[in-house]
Amino acid sequence: MNGAINYTYGFSHGVEWGWPIAVYLLLAGISGGALIVALLVRFYKKQQVDTPLLKAASLVSFVTIALGMVFLVGDLEKPLYFWKILIHYNFTSVMSIGVMAISIYIPLSLIMCFYLFEKEISVVLAKKSQLLGYFEMVMVLLKKIRPMIEVLSVVFAVVICAYTGFLISVLVRFPILNTAILPALFVVSGLSAGTASASMVASYLFKEDTHSSDLKTLHVIEWPIMAVEIMLIAMLFVSLLVGNEFQQTTTVAFQSGVYANLFWFGVMGVGFGLPLVLNFALGKHVAHSHMAFYLSGMASVLGVLCLRMFIIYAGQTFSI
Amino acid sequence: MENDGKRRAFLKVLGLGSVSLGTAGYSVALGTGKAEKKPHYGMIFDQNKCVGCTDCEVACRKVNEVPEGQVRLYVENKTDPSTPMDKKYVRVSCQQCEDAPCVAVCPSKACHRDVKTGIVTMNPDDCIACKYCIVACPYDVRFINHKTKAAENCNFCLNTNLAKGKEPACVESCKYKALVFGDLNDENAYINQILHVKDHVRMKPTYGTKPSLRYIPVVKVGV
Ligand code: SF4
Ligand code: SF4
Ligand code: SF4
Repeated sequence: MNGAINYTYGFSHGVEWGWPIAVYLLLAGISGGALIVALLVRFYKKQQVDTPLLKAASLVSFVTIALGMVFLVGDLEKPLYFWKILIHYNFTSVMSIGVMAISIYIPLSLIMCFYLFEKEISVVLAKKSQLLGYFEMVMVLLKKIRPMIEVLSVVFAVVICAYTGFLISVLVRFPILNTAILPALFVVSGLSAGTASASMVASYLFKEDTHSSDLKTLHVIEWPIMAVEIMLIAMLFVSLLVGNEFQQTTTVAFQSGVYANLFWFGVMGVGFGLPLVLNFALGKHVAHSHMAFYLSGMASVLGVLCLRMFIIYAGQTFSI
Repeated sequence: MENDGKRRAFLKVLGLGSVSLGTAGYSVALGTGKAEKKPHYGMIFDQNKCVGCTDCEVACRKVNEVPEGQVRLYVENKTDPSTPMDKKYVRVSCQQCEDAPCVAVCPSKACHRDVKTGIVTMNPDDCIACKYCIVACPYDVRFINHKTKAAENCNFCLNTNLAKGKEPACVESCKYKALVFGDLNDENAYINQILHVKDHVRMKPTYGTKPSLRYIPVVKVGV
């Protein structure tokens, strides 16, 4: 920095991107994460039938990304001009790239829902026989390319999770945001929120037994994902701690004030602590109960929401 | 010869408006077979001359119809409290970066570089007010105009004073000549003559955005 001359005044006055963006980042993470884990389980176990887990994941991923778009567009000061970004495409903008990825990803997640809810949709459409005819025609075509759609869905789900991290990591003014770790952290925390959401919906809506083989698998991979997440957060912290003077001053965000509380109680306590306690500290009886299953699932999602909130708010509060 | 005359009469050429400036440059390039350099407008803020009167702020708001309570330009008082008699002010405004992050991140290309003048400016109709440019600008000098609901920055009065062939409003209004505006690509321009003889700095150069604004800081000599 230039010692000779400088200014401290800025025009933005505080946090420009607020909670709707944090919620959008959470929803995009859940959407991508759910689809990734469910499809990877399917590939890994070479499943041919449509499992409740995949049903749940498809539904979750489509609903959350659609809801996410509502938050994203709603946060614009001119939401009705949203289409402008589709005609003035800018290749150097992460947001433009993200919009392109989303406009491929949403149809993909919708097609996944078509595969898994074909019967249900047919029942609804049965009253309008013409529509049902079109739907069946489309499904015949779509079914031929299902393996390709599944692979593309995983690829774009990863892209969606990662781009949300890149979106804010390019903001050079904010040391907490401007790190290379952020996109990775967003993919991994998306996986954990997505896993939790998909398992809960599979059990609640599609009556999957909480001890079924699929949910057991998810339960097992949950802990390594969490470990990686904690490691990435630690890396983020250390990179700030050993960084330049501005990066170092931002570590206050982790140490005192509301953001530190959000981080330690929300991210660490609720997100990581609660599930660990419920599953390992209170004995097998509690760990295997329904209550523990839903509570720790919701705690994971809430923890990831707190993480997004922390990153968005603390990130923009500490600027250079 | 004709070329030199055109360069020296820089402000008069500006008087023809930015469109004719472009065409003039083009015809000269055709005539001489030499490529005419595009203009690169810059500005100097001289801290030694600024007295903090804020005439520039007032002029800018009036000429560019900036809504009440908002500014494109702000003069911050940076007087050191321990030496209250040594007044120090600094201009806060868009730095007109050569590598402008605001242009890079704008998804709708509303924030763009004007083709004729190279000035970073806005097309308010295309702005969806996503605020990406605001958070991406390392200098925090963009804002959403309450009236137009579009992002905005100092654009050297591109579509107001400059279009009318006048100097930017802030420069025009400065009684103390603390502001100098001109084409950095024009060797003979007054702005370059000053930059040749005075020490000057760019604000926060570590961002690597190559600002076109230059600051001449107060440098204390002696005891
Ligand atoms: S100072 Fe900010 S608004 Fe101005 S050109 Fe640079 S990045 Fe854009
Ligand atoms: S707020 Fe407007 S100018 Fe800024 S990036 Fe968004 S669309 Fe572009
Ligand atoms: S050049 Fe024009 S827009 Fe920029 S600060 Fe001066 S008066 Fe305002």
